[in-house]
Amino acid sequence: MTAPAASPPSRATAPLVVSVQDLRVHFKVKAGMAHAVDGVSFDVRDGETLGLVGETGCGKTVTARSFLRLVKSPPGIYAGGKIDFWSRDTRRSGGEPVDLLGISDREMLAIRGDRIAMIFQDPAKALNPAMSIGDQVAEVFYQHRSDDLIGERSDRVPTLVRRASRQLTTGPERLALRLPPWRRQSRALRRRVDALVAGALAETQIANPRKIMDRYPHELSGGMKQRVMIAQALACNPDLLIADEPTTALDVTIQARILELIADLQERHGTSVLYISHDLSLVRQMCDRVAVMYAGRIVETGDTPAVFSDPLHPYTRGLMAAVPSATQKRGELQAIEGNVPEMVNPTPSCRFHTRCRFAVDLCRRVDPELLDVGDQGVACLAYASAAELGVPESSLPLVEGPNR
Amino acid sequence: MQIREYILRRLMIFPLIIIGTSIIVFTLSRVGGNPIAIYLEHEMTPAEVAEIEERYGLNDPLPVQYLAWAGGVLTGDMGWSGVSAQPVTEALLDRVGATLELALFAAVVAVTLGIGLGTFGGARRDRLPDHLTRVFSISGASMPIFWFAILLLILFWVNLGWVSIGRSDPTIFASIAHPTGLYTVDAILAGSLTAFLDALAYMALPAITLGFGATAIIARMMRSSLVEELNEDYVDAARAKGLPEKLVLRRHARRNALIPTVTVIGLGFGFLLQGTVVVEIIFRWPGLGRWMADAVLRGDQATIMAYVLFTSVLFLAVNLIVDVMYAYLDRRVVLGA
Amino acid sequence: MVELSAPGRIPLPTHGPFAVRVRRLAEVAREVLRNPTTVAGLVIIVALLTMAFLAPVLTEPNTPDPYQMPRDWTMRDAPPGTPGHPLGTTSTGGDVFYGVVWGARTSLQLSVIVVGITVTVGIIVGSLAGFIGGKLDEILMRVVDVFLAIPELIFALAIAAVLGPSFSNIIFALSVVFWVKYARIIRGQIIHIKQNDYVDAARVTGDSRFSIYRKDVLPNSITPVMVQATMDMGGIVLTAATLSFIGLAEAGLAEWGVLVSDGQAGISAGKWWASTFPGLMVFLWALAFNLVGDGLRDVLDPRTERR
Repeated sequence: MTAPAASPPSRATAPLVVSVQDLRVHFKVKAGMAHAVDGVSFDVRDGETLGLVGETGCGKTVTARSFLRLVKSPPGIYAGGKIDFWSRDTRRSGGEPVDLLGISDREMLAIRGDRIAMIFQDPAKALNPAMSIGDQVAEVFYQHRSDDLIGERSDRVPTLVRRASRQLTTGPERLALRLPPWRRQSRALRRRVDALVAGALAETQIANPRKIMDRYPHELSGGMKQRVMIAQALACNPDLLIADEPTTALDVTIQARILELIADLQERHGTSVLYISHDLSLVRQMCDRVAVMYAGRIVETGDTPAVFSDPLHPYTRGLMAAVPSATQKRGELQAIEGNVPEMVNPTPSCRFHTRCRFAVDLCRRVDPELLDVGDQGVACLAYASAAELGVPESSLPLVEGPNR
Repeated sequence: MQIREYILRRLMIFPLIIIGTSIIVFTLSRVGGNPIAIYLEHEMTPAEVAEIEERYGLNDPLPVQYLAWAGGVLTGDMGWSGVSAQPVTEALLDRVGATLELALFAAVVAVTLGIGLGTFGGARRDRLPDHLTRVFSISGASMPIFWFAILLLILFWVNLGWVSIGRSDPTIFASIAHPTGLYTVDAILAGSLTAFLDALAYMALPAITLGFGATAIIARMMRSSLVEELNEDYVDAARAKGLPEKLVLRRHARRNALIPTVTVIGLGFGFLLQGTVVVEIIFRWPGLGRWMADAVLRGDQATIMAYVLFTSVLFLAVNLIVDVMYAYLDRRVVLGA
Repeated sequence: MVELSAPGRIPLPTHGPFAVRVRRLAEVAREVLRNPTTVAGLVIIVALLTMAFLAPVLTEPNTPDPYQMPRDWTMRDAPPGTPGHPLGTTSTGGDVFYGVVWGARTSLQLSVIVVGITVTVGIIVGSLAGFIGGKLDEILMRVVDVFLAIPELIFALAIAAVLGPSFSNIIFALSVVFWVKYARIIRGQIIHIKQNDYVDAARVTGDSRFSIYRKDVLPNSITPVMVQATMDMGGIVLTAATLSFIGLAEAGLAEWGVLVSDGQAGISAGKWWASTFPGLMVFLWALAFNLVGDGLRDVLDPRTERR
């Protein structure tokens, strides 16, 4: 499997945080197996922001969810590949990565929310409507920072309180915590958590975090809710933040602020970000590198400016042409014709060939691999080596025409 | 605020509906034959009958009769109960304890078992436990109480001899005082373990029979609510925070699924109320249900009217409370800022 | 015509060329049949209906009134398996199997009549309330609220009690109690449509209120009404059996509730069959219709599962 394109010189040597290798996720449907993610590979390096772009249904969300094994398990199946992950500690000590798809459930729980965090598309739906903001954000601290909460004199802390700090208590135990012998310590615990929560909220520029903590999600505006989500996600200073269309559900005016916030926090904490989006202009603004997905596969990767100014893959070219810009003459809005192909029990072929202007017969029979073309990566037979494929030169498609 | 309006409206309509119900009840009693038939003896002369009719105001225009009756109800006089040979109000108070106790225990069974089963099934959607739960739920909703009771009796009483019919062992019952009318509570107050166990032993089977239908609908509602909640984004978001699945289920999904389940409680209570009639007949439980059954067979209008009015008011009240509770809980979930 | 709001993965095809309608109806049927429990329910219903229709064939009808249980003092309390009485006999010598089969017939007649009456009355009242609106609507809805305040069984019990013990009184009582839900359904549909902009558009083009009613309200209401009616077919028989059990039907009637009640006395002496089999029938009847109603609702009206 060919490695994806190299990153620009300044980042080329940055250590890897995540390396997705030939990821395959299938869904069992009535007609058979739908290959939602069909051999996806890309890397995310330390401190960079990678954009994963594609239209609805191309598999970008499934890919993102696979990182945390959040794909619904029937009907979804992790059918192949690995997702290697280097945490900060691993990188520092030069150790081996863990395969997120292979680790135990317990190890995964330790990573979720702590080393890798995720923010979801619609903050209104991603926050529990019946829990206060403070309680929800506190959960992350209880789950991952209980030792900090207990402090150094852990031997002086009663078992009950210690269990509370790890969210292991049962109903009767929780009632008991209100009683005098444990009340003082339990309250102290609460205060410490609240302080951490307030701190996390303040970091996302929420004014008056203490007041917000007592509120419920429906009392907050969309922008506020997303800030809370971000605060929650970055609470434990994760190595990787996965942002699944974080601004799609927000007003345009708020979008910019949120994006700024994410960028700012990222720089401050050195977090790497995986940005999922279908909004090209957003990706152009926010991402250092971009990977374009189509029908479950990566079709192009590269530095953002390069891919945007010189798209190699016919699909990417179509995308760039379809985005209206201020300089475009009227009447030039181009849509890409055709539809997404059959993803159930597919045969080897280029997934884009049904919509591709340049498709030839070969495209219907061979899976194009992701190849290096300069600093970019493309999965299109037009850039393939006929010799390697063992076919006559003339059978390769020809991609031509002016680029954006 | 929307919710305050809602509560006020419901509260204002409440008495209106009760009045409407009382009108229906009254109409019923006048429709069906002679309301004082139960007081008449066979050998009365027409003159004596006429005199009784006059005494009970049967010659007055209907609205007047209604007001007389309604006035009586409000002052605690609901006439004479032929089947129990005592004033209706007294008869009602005598028996309400037995029925309430039975209904309460049945309700406890129904709620705990129902929520438990619903959670059990809902968390394992489309797998065996879920299918079993659904079969149980729908059987429960279709189950004729009288048949279920008889089956249980055949098994536990005739064949196994584990239970006896009735409310208590008469000697034990007589050995303690009964301030509240609830046998179990009275036993606790009297500090008598024998009496307490006696109460439970007799109540077990009737309570289970009675609660069965309600358990089924609660389990069903809980299951479907849980399945819906588990599909929501916030559940995945909670998982993404690294919370163990049990915690996600308990604190996020289940807690939110309980909210709509509350709405079924009103319905379940209706099931319970209706069930008491049959259950009390079969298990010879000395409560309101059996009182009504006797009245129905003997045409005792006063008793029938009182019973219908009482149960309707109770049913309405419970539904009102449940609806208000739900509106209060739900506004956090549904109502925007 | 606009296919409104409501729910449903597959709305009922009430318009369009005949061929299209048939095909879509087949689609709906197929979807319904996909659920195994629904199919089970249908099978049971078919069995019950067959039993009801073939009653005179399956058993020797009693004279003079086949709906009265036959008496045979020579064959009292015979256990199941006795030759000629596969399910045993009652304490008056009546064949339990006879009771089961003719009870099905009784139940069928009962449920069809009551459902017929209640749906009709409900639609009329609901339509009046919805269309005329205003004060009349308020009043009618209060009336509905009042009716709903009294628990069904208790209400029917009281009505049947004051009218006197007879099966026809039971039918009447049930009709009085069960019509309200339909009124609410229809009224709800009308209100919903009224709120829909489409109506204004139709008015502009000159459609009379009645034609809107005919073309939109009715077709869209069919679904919830159908679901409710199916469930009621089960519930009505259940309630009627309970009423008969308590004692509000004529003695000796070939009706399941009556049979269970008559068989009660023999239980302590170990004679379980006279109550068990008829009771089982009530259960099966209610179960079958509930299963089918549920299946229908899943396909046609998935959202309303909530309330």
